[in-house]
Amino acid sequence: MGKNKFLIFLAALAAACLFSLAAGPAGWSNYDIIINLRLPRTLAALAVGAGLGLAGALFQGVLKNPLSDPYILGTSSGATAAAVFCFLAGIERTSPVFFLAVFAGAFGATFLSYWLARLAGRLSDAALVLAGVAVSAFLSALVMLTLTSSGARSFSLFYFVLGGLYSVQPGVLIISSLIIAGSGVLAMARWRALDAMALGSENAYHLGISPERERILFFTLACASTSAAVAIGGTIGFVGLMTPHIVRRITGPSARALVPAAALGGAALLTAADAAGRSLFSPSEIPAGIVMALAGAPFFMWLLCKSSRGRA
Amino acid sequence: MPALKVSGLTFSYGPRPLIQDLSFELCAGSFLCVLGPNGSGKSTLLRLLTGFMKATSGSVRLGGEEAASIEPGRLARLAAYVASETSTPYDFSVRETVLLGRTARAGFWRGYSAEDGAAAGLAMEETGITALAERSINTLSTGERQLVFIAQALAQEARLLLLDEPTSHLDLKYKSEIMALLARLAGRGLAVAAVLHEPALGRLGCNKALILNGGGSYSFGAAAEMLTPARLAAAYGIPPDSPLLPK
Repeated sequence: MGKNKFLIFLAALAAACLFSLAAGPAGWSNYDIIINLRLPRTLAALAVGAGLGLAGALFQGVLKNPLSDPYILGTSSGATAAAVFCFLAGIERTSPVFFLAVFAGAFGATFLSYWLARLAGRLSDAALVLAGVAVSAFLSALVMLTLTSSGARSFSLFYFVLGGLYSVQPGVLIISSLIIAGSGVLAMARWRALDAMALGSENAYHLGISPERERILFFTLACASTSAAVAIGGTIGFVGLMTPHIVRRITGPSARALVPAAALGGAALLTAADAAGRSLFSPSEIPAGIVMALAGAPFFMWLLCKSSRGRA
Repeated sequence: MPALKVSGLTFSYGPRPLIQDLSFELCAGSFLCVLGPNGSGKSTLLRLLTGFMKATSGSVRLGGEEAASIEPGRLARLAAYVASETSTPYDFSVRETVLLGRTARAGFWRGYSAEDGAAAGLAMEETGITALAERSINTLSTGERQLVFIAQALAQEARLLLLDEPTSHLDLKYKSEIMALLARLAGRGLAVAAVLHEPALGRLGCNKALILNGGGSYSFGAAAEMLTPARLAAAYGIPPDSPLLPK
């Protein structure tokens, strides 16, 4: 892929940033609002979108399954559940313990879905989606149970679970951005292995890749990236699902261009979605998670129809 | 040194052994067909040869090295494997797919070298798919796609080429084309082993044959001696005068 194709993503990213900085009742007039409110929020949307877009591209490649993303596989639910328990236990959001717990939640939930899907024998696309739905539903129920029984603090937690980019702590944003950037760089270094895995694990093995090792590696990177995104913005779905499909039309399927492009594309997509949520129904504000679900769920339905006809 | 040396190989899924005490050798220039009824362990045998599945006991040596202790990157340079059908939901181009055969030879991170490009180009020429290079593999016919994965295996530049039912979903034209291609590759010095679902195909250039009878018994030898109606009829459980058998 030529350098000029990457310009498309950079242009989309710049447009989304401008939209996000300008979106809201005050327009361009109030410098204070732009710098102190909209800029941090735009940065948060960029980081979360990049993390989720990256995770989606990695899952779709390593599982050879175009229906996978951190939301559908239960990765986000696992991270959210762990984050909620940390909040209730009073663990500081910038402490290493918090990030480790959120990562463990993400990784545990993902492996549970994967393991459940494998129980049936051959790993099918549908089995993986079903397993992910089951794991997500159970974890979400656990979170709701915890929220409803914990009383006073539950209102802000409720907004966290819903997925939104309201109150971003600078410390969390910095740590999460570093985790996402690190995962992205490591994933890009192994693009060849990801391409081989996209042909299936038997083919990958015979091309000289160890499928078990790569699966764990890419699950780790995707879960680290997802959990860092969740630490900032809670459960935001469909960014990881949609982005790689859109980006692939421009870059082609090879992970070499797809992985960095999915991070850029995810950042642009979520930033635009968050800005739309703030401006379209102004003065009331729609959380980014809900905007993404409104756009993403129909996209998922379309994808299901397409893949049931054999190709995606 | 043989490209492949199997000795005392034993494997079972359950209590009954599927492959028992199997020994044979394959040298450069040989074209072996592996025959036998469904469930006799033909495909399993190929996966045991590359270490994708682990044998209960016995040894497989690839170019003198014990297969079980070779790491995947090295293995891909010694043996290439073509599955009976490979599908992917993603629209990789033919060229990209063939270049993936260079995975074990190219470094991570970097792009493909000129040498990788040349090897892929040669493999596409050899299999006659150069004109398809920029097409998505998902737009090809089953036969064309099989040629792409054979080209991918050739790009690995391994001495041993293993194929699992390379012609099973193909029409007669592709069947004869692919068998002729494999015979040509063996003639050029590769060791080729192909699982075939029709014994008659073994007459198209194979010089060795391995017949698995199911339940562990087998016979191995020169194709001319192995592909007789009497042996095949016994292995497949059909009458020796059946028109399905090679005459």
